[in-house]
Amino acid sequence: MDMSKVLPDECLAHIISLTSPQDACRFALVSHNCQSAADSDVVWEGFLPSKYLEIVSSTTSSSQLTSLSKKKLYLHLCNNPILINNGIMSFALEKQSGKKCYMVGARGLSIIWGNSPDYWTWKPLPYQSRFSEVAELRFVWWLHIRGWIETKILSLKTTYAAYFVFKFTDYKSGFSERPVELSVNFEGSLGGENRHVFLDVPPEFDTPRPPRERGDGWMEIEMGEFFNDNGDNGSVVCGLREVDDYTSKHGLIVEGIEFRPKEGR
Amino acid sequence: MASSESTTTSTTTKVLRLKSSDNEIFGVEEKAALQSETIKSLAEDGYSEDVIPLFNVEKKTLAKIVEWLNKHASGSSKEELKRWDADFVDVDKDVLYDLLLASNYLNIEVLLHQLAQKVADMIKGKKPEEIRQLFGIKNDFTPEEEAEIRRENAWAFE
Repeated sequence: MDMSKVLPDECLAHIISLTSPQDACRFALVSHNCQSAADSDVVWEGFLPSKYLEIVSSTTSSSQLTSLSKKKLYLHLCNNPILINNGIMSFALEKQSGKKCYMVGARGLSIIWGNSPDYWTWKPLPYQSRFSEVAELRFVWWLHIRGWIETKILSLKTTYAAYFVFKFTDYKSGFSERPVELSVNFEGSLGGENRHVFLDVPPEFDTPRPPRERGDGWMEIEMGEFFNDNGDNGSVVCGLREVDDYTSKHGLIVEGIEFRPKEGR
Repeated sequence: MASSESTTTSTTTKVLRLKSSDNEIFGVEEKAALQSETIKSLAEDGYSEDVIPLFNVEKKTLAKIVEWLNKHASGSSKEELKRWDADFVDVDKDVLYDLLLASNYLNIEVLLHQLAQKVADMIKGKKPEEIRQLFGIKNDFTPEEEAEIRRENAWAFE
């Protein structure tokens, strides 16, 4: 018996909503009946995070987005981060799981000396940055950047990692001489073990987790991870630090700090 | 377990009579039967003294459904129910479809969900060709349509 002819659409949709976004896309290719169930709003509404409407409606493009089918909206949010919180944060979905991803833009971070134009400059990078401004390091000895995120806005029961998103100008220096210290902790808790990594890995140096190209013109380095159980752990604070007084540092461009689920968890 | 089920029957226990589409009558304790929203509203509409006709469910399927309703009203432990349910949904696909249709019509949310989960688990991770074969579904797309859908959903086939 052909299941897609025996079972009514609402039954098929119920079944597909218990699979995954990827399974639903594959199911759409099985037959016409399967496609109409697999592409239905009921199915994709279930894959979207519970408060997606609140988040989407806070953006300027909300009317265009909410008029899309739920499947189109889901895929749009996977591929096109939307700006929230007056443009200092972005929101997106992780494609496989539909879990929430956020990036706190440079303007939402705490950057020591960030307001002193001698040390840092703020500038737009159209077509390269998702935010209206990025922070460019002219020169500093004391490099210290921190970012926060509230655990209650993240997906629950999920292991997240924080990634520092950056690139270098043509005049970089100081980053292959000294590693930076990276930390990720629940705010107010005792810090765990911090990571020490080179943002600009020296050629002869072998490191297990070097910065990698993101494919969007930026680099990223994992700062650390944490498990968001019930979203009641307050905020997570991430830090990047290099405060050795003898190495001056130049030529870093900061896009932001991204929080996204670790693969498969 | 069997002894406790027979001794809990008291004088106040009301039994509803459910009639299958092929005219078989099943007596089911009200507490068990009312797990079905459809039976509940039929009973409220005054069918409860008489026979409740279930035009869309054949006796072989209704027998299974009644078995499930009784088990889930018997006060079994959570672990016991979990094992029992896993066996209950472990049936041939045709039986599974009949049970899905019946639980959808009878509006038994918990059972419907268990059955849907069973089918969902069979679908997970499979390619379209494998799903067609497993569920006897004919590919009614033209090659052009198929290519188009594959393009739109390319990420799911990586």
